[in-house]
Amino acid sequence: MASARSDIAPADARAASPSFIAHKILIAGGFGSGKTTLVGAISEVRPLRTEETLTTASIGLDDLTGVDGKTTTTVALDFGRITLGTKIVLYLFGMPGQERFSFMWDELAYGALGAVILADVRRLDDCFPSVNYFETLRLPFVVAVNCFDDSPMYEPEEVRLALDLDADVPLVLCDARDVASVKQVLITLVETIADRQPATAGRVR
Amino acid sequence: MSPDDKWRHRESGPVVRPYAVTGGRTAPADGDVLDLLTVIVATGQPAAAEDAARLTPEHRRLLALCRRQITLADLASDIALPLGVVRVLLADLTQLGAITVVRQRPPDQRTGNDVLQEILNGLRAL
Repeated sequence: MASARSDIAPADARAASPSFIAHKILIAGGFGSGKTTLVGAISEVRPLRTEETLTTASIGLDDLTGVDGKTTTTVALDFGRITLGTKIVLYLFGMPGQERFSFMWDELAYGALGAVILADVRRLDDCFPSVNYFETLRLPFVVAVNCFDDSPMYEPEEVRLALDLDADVPLVLCDARDVASVKQVLITLVETIADRQPATAGRVR
Repeated sequence: MSPDDKWRHRESGPVVRPYAVTGGRTAPADGDVLDLLTVIVATGQPAAAEDAARLTPEHRRLLALCRRQITLADLASDIALPLGVVRVLLADLTQLGAITVVRQRPPDQRTGNDVLQEILNGLRAL
């Protein structure tokens, strides 16, 4: 019966010491705020499908005409992967910010280091659910205002006021299409996460 | 058109209902819901012939992808099946002893400053 065994691969690790360590960062924001663009600026964007049980939250939003008995709906997520050094892989997960997707936020946020909330100044209220969620979760986050070409110019302080952000939440301006800009947003986030660490061992600089 | 593409329409996605490939099961057999970044690897243990005969093509494709350590998110994306479906199939493979979870770090341990420093250095060097 050798053929039955042929597709069982030799493992590259027996008691399996990790060949890389995966870390998660969330990219949240409202519909059209530029989440996919941001992920795509710094890594390859890969699609991920989930089948979610329909809840009353989607009634009236998802068109179910002609699909009587359909009880699940497909939610498409994007994610990107950045390899840092030899052992660290940073995963960026796009998190749909609309309230009706809140049933999947906990799963996405599980184990995350922190989050970037992408804000579009034309629709700042789209950020409220994400801001509330991360505040409640006590997950470190930064707000990155995506500067669209035709968006009205606001001072960062005005945006901070409108979002009612705590003083220790960084607010940065960014261009989600630009790799240097996205890099700076992520660096700001990781610095913020480090600042929230208990001051036991060594400082991050 | 490769055999994998046969039941997949460019616009609408697969023609087969997602949970058809799990035989209609929507929950993992062991009840464990794996996190997106759970890392999995093939154990290399040969399955008993009767078990191996029960594996579906999807099981086999997943097992092949697990030759190297890989996250659940990468697996689901590579195999283009919904997360929930992949979780069910992985639980089957775990029960057969064909794959195992690679422990990343002790549970509930906070990410230390040394790790954050390494991430920062890595980002700055991009």
